[in-house]
Amino acid sequence: MMIGPDLLNIAIYLPLAAAVGIALLPRDKEHLAGPLALAASLLAFVPALALYLGFDPALPGMQFAQDLPWLSALGARYAVGLDGISLLMFMLTAFLGPIAVLSSFTAVKEHRRFYYASLLALQTGMLGVFAALDLLIFYVFWEAMLIPMYFLIGIWGGKRRIYASVKFFIYTMAGSLLMLAAILWLYFDHQSRTGIYTFALSAYGNAAAGGTGMLLFLAFALAFAIKVPLWPFHTWLPDAHVEAPTAGSIILAGVLLKMGVYGFIRIAVPFFPEAAMTAGWPIAALGAFGVIYGSLTAWAQDDIKKLVAYSSVAHLGIVMVGALVLEPAAVGGAVLQMVNHGLSTGALFLCVGMLYERRHTRLMADYGGIAKVMPAFAAVFMIVTLSSIGLPGLNGFIGEFLILFGSFKVWPCLALISLGGVILSAVYMLGMYQKVFFGPVTNPANKELPDLKVREWLCVLPLLALIVWIGVYPNFFLKRLDTAVNDYIRLAGGQRPPFSLVQEGK
Amino acid sequence: MEKNLLDLTAPLLLVAVPAIVALLLRPAWAARAAGIGLFAALLNVSFGGPANIMPFGQSLVYDPLTKLLWLLILGAAFAAVDLTPRAACAAQLPANEYYFLLPISTVGLMAMLATGDLIGVFIALEVVSLPLYALAAARRTAAGAEAGYKYFLLGSFGAALTVLGIAFFYGSVGSVLIQSAAAISGLKVNQAAASAGFLLIMAGFAFKAALVPFHMWVPDVYEGAPTPVSAFMASAVKAGAVLILFRLFAAADLPLYYKIFWWAAALTMAAGNIAALPQAGVKRMLAYSSVAHAGYLLTGFMGGKAAFPAVYFYLAVYAAATIGAFSLVAILEKHEKGVTLADLRGLAAADPAKAALMAVFVLSLAGIPPLAGFFGKFWLFAQAVRGGSPGLVVIAVLASAVSLYYYLSIITAIYAGKADTPAAPRAGTPAMLWLLGSFVLLGGLAADFFLLPAANALPFLP
Repeated sequence: MMIGPDLLNIAIYLPLAAAVGIALLPRDKEHLAGPLALAASLLAFVPALALYLGFDPALPGMQFAQDLPWLSALGARYAVGLDGISLLMFMLTAFLGPIAVLSSFTAVKEHRRFYYASLLALQTGMLGVFAALDLLIFYVFWEAMLIPMYFLIGIWGGKRRIYASVKFFIYTMAGSLLMLAAILWLYFDHQSRTGIYTFALSAYGNAAAGGTGMLLFLAFALAFAIKVPLWPFHTWLPDAHVEAPTAGSIILAGVLLKMGVYGFIRIAVPFFPEAAMTAGWPIAALGAFGVIYGSLTAWAQDDIKKLVAYSSVAHLGIVMVGALVLEPAAVGGAVLQMVNHGLSTGALFLCVGMLYERRHTRLMADYGGIAKVMPAFAAVFMIVTLSSIGLPGLNGFIGEFLILFGSFKVWPCLALISLGGVILSAVYMLGMYQKVFFGPVTNPANKELPDLKVREWLCVLPLLALIVWIGVYPNFFLKRLDTAVNDYIRLAGGQRPPFSLVQEGK
Repeated sequence: MEKNLLDLTAPLLLVAVPAIVALLLRPAWAARAAGIGLFAALLNVSFGGPANIMPFGQSLVYDPLTKLLWLLILGAAFAAVDLTPRAACAAQLPANEYYFLLPISTVGLMAMLATGDLIGVFIALEVVSLPLYALAAARRTAAGAEAGYKYFLLGSFGAALTVLGIAFFYGSVGSVLIQSAAAISGLKVNQAAASAGFLLIMAGFAFKAALVPFHMWVPDVYEGAPTPVSAFMASAVKAGAVLILFRLFAAADLPLYYKIFWWAAALTMAAGNIAALPQAGVKRMLAYSSVAHAGYLLTGFMGGKAAFPAVYFYLAVYAAATIGAFSLVAILEKHEKGVTLADLRGLAAADPAKAALMAVFVLSLAGIPPLAGFFGKFWLFAQAVRGGSPGLVVIAVLASAVSLYYYLSIITAIYAGKADTPAAPRAGTPAMLWLLGSFVLLGGLAADFFLLPAANALPFLP
């Protein structure tokens, strides 16, 4: 089959089809739900990989694009496609899917059919958001995703799961609803100027300026900022993360948060470049503040999962600085850093989940000396921790370096603050590592913990491989970003000369 | 000519005659008779000849618009009758009377939407209401009596307002045709009396549609009436009332009315959603939610006449979800007090099919994509933006955000709660519920199917 839109659609909808099948399994076949879900998500990864390899970095604009009539009464079309930025996000989602499924095999024992169906439906929703080229489709996927996530947290979550899931849902939806009002305004404004009813993303470049542009920009920015989450809109995140089951946390941190930043890059900034120029610095400043705030809050946590959750606020803060500075290196770094954060934080949540399954506690004080009992696990956790801190040679370094390098020229103050956050991350992450893994085994319950099992190895190895791969040879990933990043900066009105993230000798 | 007249009367007779026959049959057969009648009428309207006749001037108009409106009303009535549980019928309702009164009320709704003059509208309104007064009071309990009494008193009050309004309107405009409302803005004398009169006419229907400040009866009546009757009132009757309101509103097209309806919409959405928040009884919660939905519909009115496809589509989706939700409540009802949130706990484990259906209906009412309720709301709000009321849309989306809380509380109870009592043996899930469920699930993705015919019927609006 040609590598084209059909493959893209298969990659998007295969998980949904599998979800329906799994939900309809007879009760006595419930034990098949997990393996089937794994098979489906692995199968869905194949077309995604083919798309990634078949993507031509030299071509501008969207690839594998498809544009079909859908709701003709509204002028809405079914339009999907990928550029370099969405391709990386798409790939990350498809990659984390099987890992999230595999990590749930022992953790989830109740209502397994519904669980795996939700997980796979969520997968389709996320892939759809990244592939959408039409505002209505984008919005539909964006919101539809909330339903399975709500179930994942609300049914299989921890003690305060109901509070956390309702808060997550209402918080994110409330922000999105204002975005809906803004979409409608844009839609009719476009019609009154051109006579055409359309939701195509490409029709709305520089859609509004002045006071109106600012209001609309803020409506979009609020929806995206809640998802990122940008301080002070982050309060849903610790609750949702802590209460979610491990797979939910992996997806939440790995992919969902990125949608906020992706929304800024794909919609908010190109639609309203003028407003983004004005509001860019304050929003990036919120990001930079979030770096310090998230780091300090993470430092103060006793609960490992909460610590990782707050560290996400910090990491995404840096990414926001990079995405809004409109400097090619920083933007490219921001996109890569989104992938990095997805990998390393996903891996961190995975590891915390493994510990929790063994001891049913997430308090650092209950551990200590785990390195003696579970040496292999300790090594894995170390690599992941170092990746999160941004040690050179691992993936986190490349992304953070590019962001700081790019933004320093334009916003030195914010870059310096973000740099402070990078240093702080070493403090709290290594502090946590020390408390959990080093020292004597003080708690007798920890003496007999089994080390990593085969299934767990299968979960972490792909993540570790990519963490090292991006750290050592990032060109394989950056190469596909060049065109899209330059396009974004051009749409955003940045006056930068074309720039390549990959300096290849000829 | 005679054949044409038959085209017009056939659907009405197909509903009315089996209903009268139902009075004479045993309960099980009465149900079948009413259902068959409604279904036959539905088929007749769908596949009957081209409709374009006005045998008595404006008094009865059978055109493509009437056809569409009848399809909506008949569909809702058929679904409500089909989903009436046998058990509820035995315990709460005298079956023969129920299967007689409900179709007759439907005939009234059909007549109301097919007539172009205000006297006809008023008579039809009475035909709608009288059977409902009796049905609301069908339960011989204090709550049932309260429901019937309240509905009767306030309904009569609303009808009186309508008559008064017609008198004002006739006195100043000199016509009882709906389309003469367009003349109000051009009147040299008595313009105030005419516009006030027309507003009074609309007030009568605002009662039936449950707009603030005419919504006070809704929670008590929906809760006290037998649940199948509530389902009918919240879907078919409400759809009829909103449609006739829209017709009147669009016919007058007065800037003053836009202002009044702007506030009515804002207050209705706010009051309905806020009052629904603390409710523990599902029926009462759905009652307040139906008030809120009337507010969303009014938001769409801001788009004027061209908003008709949006209003129509939204009503179809809303009616399907509401009938579905109320019918599930009727099926799950075990005692006099109705279903509370606590009763829904653990439903997902006990009966996954009904749980999933309830979730679909509720999420659609909440307007979450990809369910049809989202597309309905989206297009409705779009009309308000097009009409130049983005402020009202902001209020509407904020109200929707508030509504999430109580809709989610239903879903949370179903899926995250554990049952207090062991699950009752599982009963079958009626096919009609699956039909409504799939419509609500997929209807939005195929909204063209509704929007395009409705857009084609636009020229027939007075």
